[in-house]
Amino acid sequence: MNRLKTITIILSIGLLIWLGPFRLFAENQSPTDKHKPHDFRATKAMVVAAHPLAVKAGVQILRRGGNAIDAAIATAAALNAAEPFASGIGGGGFMVVYLAKEKKVTVINFRERAPAASQPTMFHLNGQLQPKWRRTHGLAVAVPGALAGWNYALQKYGTLSLGEVFKEAIKIAEEGFPVSDTFSSINKDEYEKLLEMDGEDSCYLHDGFPFEPGDIFRNPSLAKTLRLISVRGPEVFYKGEIAQKIVQAVQEKGGIMTMEDLSSYQPLETKPLRSTYKDFEIWTIPPPGSGGLHIIQLLSIFENLPLKEWGYLSPHYIHYFTEALRFLFADRARYLGDPEFVKVPVAKLISKKYARSIIEKIKPEKVATTYLSNELFYRDLNSDEVENTTHLCVVDEQGNIVSLTQSINHFFGSGIVPEGTGFLLNNHMDDFSRDPKSPNAPGSRRHPLSSMGPLILFHQGEPFLVLGSPGGTRIFSSLTQIILNIIEFGLGLDEAIEAPRFFSYSVNGQARPLYVEKRIPAPVLDQLRQWGHQISLRETYDKYFGGAQGILILPRGQGLRGGADSRRDGTGGGY
Amino acid sequence: MKHQNVKNSTNGLLSLLINIFFCSSLFWALSPWLHSQEALPHFSSPAIITSAGQSAEVQLAAVIAKRAGLEATLIKMATPADLKGTKTLILVLGASLKGLGAAGLDMNQEIDRVKSLLQACQEKKIPIICLHLGGESRRGELSDKIINLFLPQANLALAVRSGNQDDLFTTICQKNNIPLILLERASEGVTYFKEIFQLK
Repeated sequence: MNRLKTITIILSIGLLIWLGPFRLFAENQSPTDKHKPHDFRATKAMVVAAHPLAVKAGVQILRRGGNAIDAAIATAAALNAAEPFASGIGGGGFMVVYLAKEKKVTVINFRERAPAASQPTMFHLNGQLQPKWRRTHGLAVAVPGALAGWNYALQKYGTLSLGEVFKEAIKIAEEGFPVSDTFSSINKDEYEKLLEMDGEDSCYLHDGFPFEPGDIFRNPSLAKTLRLISVRGPEVFYKGEIAQKIVQAVQEKGGIMTMEDLSSYQPLETKPLRSTYKDFEIWTIPPPGSGGLHIIQLLSIFENLPLKEWGYLSPHYIHYFTEALRFLFADRARYLGDPEFVKVPVAKLISKKYARSIIEKIKPEKVATTYLSNELFYRDLNSDEVENTTHLCVVDEQGNIVSLTQSINHFFGSGIVPEGTGFLLNNHMDDFSRDPKSPNAPGSRRHPLSSMGPLILFHQGEPFLVLGSPGGTRIFSSLTQIILNIIEFGLGLDEAIEAPRFFSYSVNGQARPLYVEKRIPAPVLDQLRQWGHQISLRETYDKYFGGAQGILILPRGQGLRGGADSRRDGTGGGY
Repeated sequence: MKHQNVKNSTNGLLSLLINIFFCSSLFWALSPWLHSQEALPHFSSPAIITSAGQSAEVQLAAVIAKRAGLEATLIKMATPADLKGTKTLILVLGASLKGLGAAGLDMNQEIDRVKSLLQACQEKKIPIICLHLGGESRRGELSDKIINLFLPQANLALAVRSGNQDDLFTTICQKNNIPLILLERASEGVTYFKEIFQLK
């Protein structure tokens, strides 16, 4: 009996050693395909955002009786702790709010503003543009608006205080969480900037090196800052000791921000931009957010084209979409800027007549030779490799909705962290045009043009889809593709979000390549090449095209479906 | 009695099988450790650190070198002209569309640059250390192209283990007889740099 026992033990040990490598191999396999479309489901209320801890923060607030605005701000603050490289109190954004009881849609603009001393040639030295000053320099930092915007929304439409909605963000920052592959890869990509602007001791580095997946990221300095704001209110950030630290950090890096710039910052509540697509109504943000305007333009263009006949991801669909984008980029450079300072012909640009005029310019099976807007164009736009920003959506039990996009611009923003505060300052001054004559040139207290486009789509008078995305100038292209995937091509919400994306633009009237995720079938790309498109292949699921989040509201109280982009760490939750 | 003999011989055979099984299990389990104890080649400074693919990990290599006390210069787009006086080339593998875009290069231009650099190293007999520090997230079609092209020319390779889950580095290094050090995290490179460059 004892002998049998010994043999069994020896065999078990041997088996364990033999199986060790296989076990390790098995553990290293991805448990599931994160790109497989998956709609989150809820019956009453839902939050979708770019990090599970942020979703948890929002859902907790909803369960405790907070409304969509309370939950949205809790989620936004939690993202500052859990996804700090994309947004936070050092940045700004926009939110579209739907108040169910009043059936009212409103927009809160908490976009950053340029410091008062800004002027059109501020990024030029001896007549030469200094690209680095726009991105990794004190001059790159615009006056942050996020905290003022969150506070405004809470005070006017919420039911809870900043302190109450910050609790979960503080907990996340204090206790930490395991770093995801997304966090780690972005941390590595931006390592040089963090080293240069914040040094090897940066709280965004792990003993001077980027965080590896699975490392625990804690940010006690951010927890302290959020706790201070919870107790003393936004004044400590805009007028008090945090303001002093911001100004000191910015000026040490060559910037021009002052205490007066911070203390004078005010968010704006504005009328939303409204239009229609067939029997759908779209409500989104007006300039200085350009994403909403361009989504409306694109949808108006496609209202007149036989999309269903062409088919999903067909060469004709991609060709017309691409050419339309290139013409819109010409308009963008010609007309768009901060409406407080320049006249933006919004009504004309979103008119159905103007959409038809764009279609007339598109040649059916040939790339245009130039893309001009009224024969004028500006040297503009650096729609390059920048990946950034974050989006969240909330629907509460009463049917109130928030669609909120916020950012610190590039991942890890300017890389500047005011001493001991744990938050990153934006580099949104890079969203101003490089051309001093552009309507979007830098200027005193101006909002830089944004590509954000948080939106709510209505069908037959009822909210149908809440949607938004990060992704720089790819935002409006990606969001329009998602909307058309759902409405025209019959895809489910997350299926529409995960679907292959493409993007192009024009600079100085000339076409740039057609950037595509490599999942688009090769014969389609061959056809597009024959029509004159230069194809640039991107990764299979490339965060260059954004990280969209959305909530589909089923009719007659049939529940909610959430879609969250696997190009980042998007997820959803509700009850 | 006969029954007893059969039983004894069966037990003996079983014991032998168990012993073989156990010994080979031990060998299997310890083989990575034994492998890591092999003497590593030594290299001389000054070194040049450059990128193949313009990923951000080139900066990681520079910090590793600095912390190890290695005399090294970071030249992201080094050319054969930069090799003067160089004793070792540290080539950081990994393609980044973002990095290539910022450098104003496409993949073909980058590959041509690195090919000419390695050709010059071969002519000048400058040894090459290949690093892959981005782990799993720095794998993919473009990065793999770079790895397959340039890793076979290395005299030593260091790679973060999560980037070797499919044994790409192991396979290429075994095939080309290149010593391979697998790191749990990039920062471990400091210790190995001290060892291979014989720094205190």
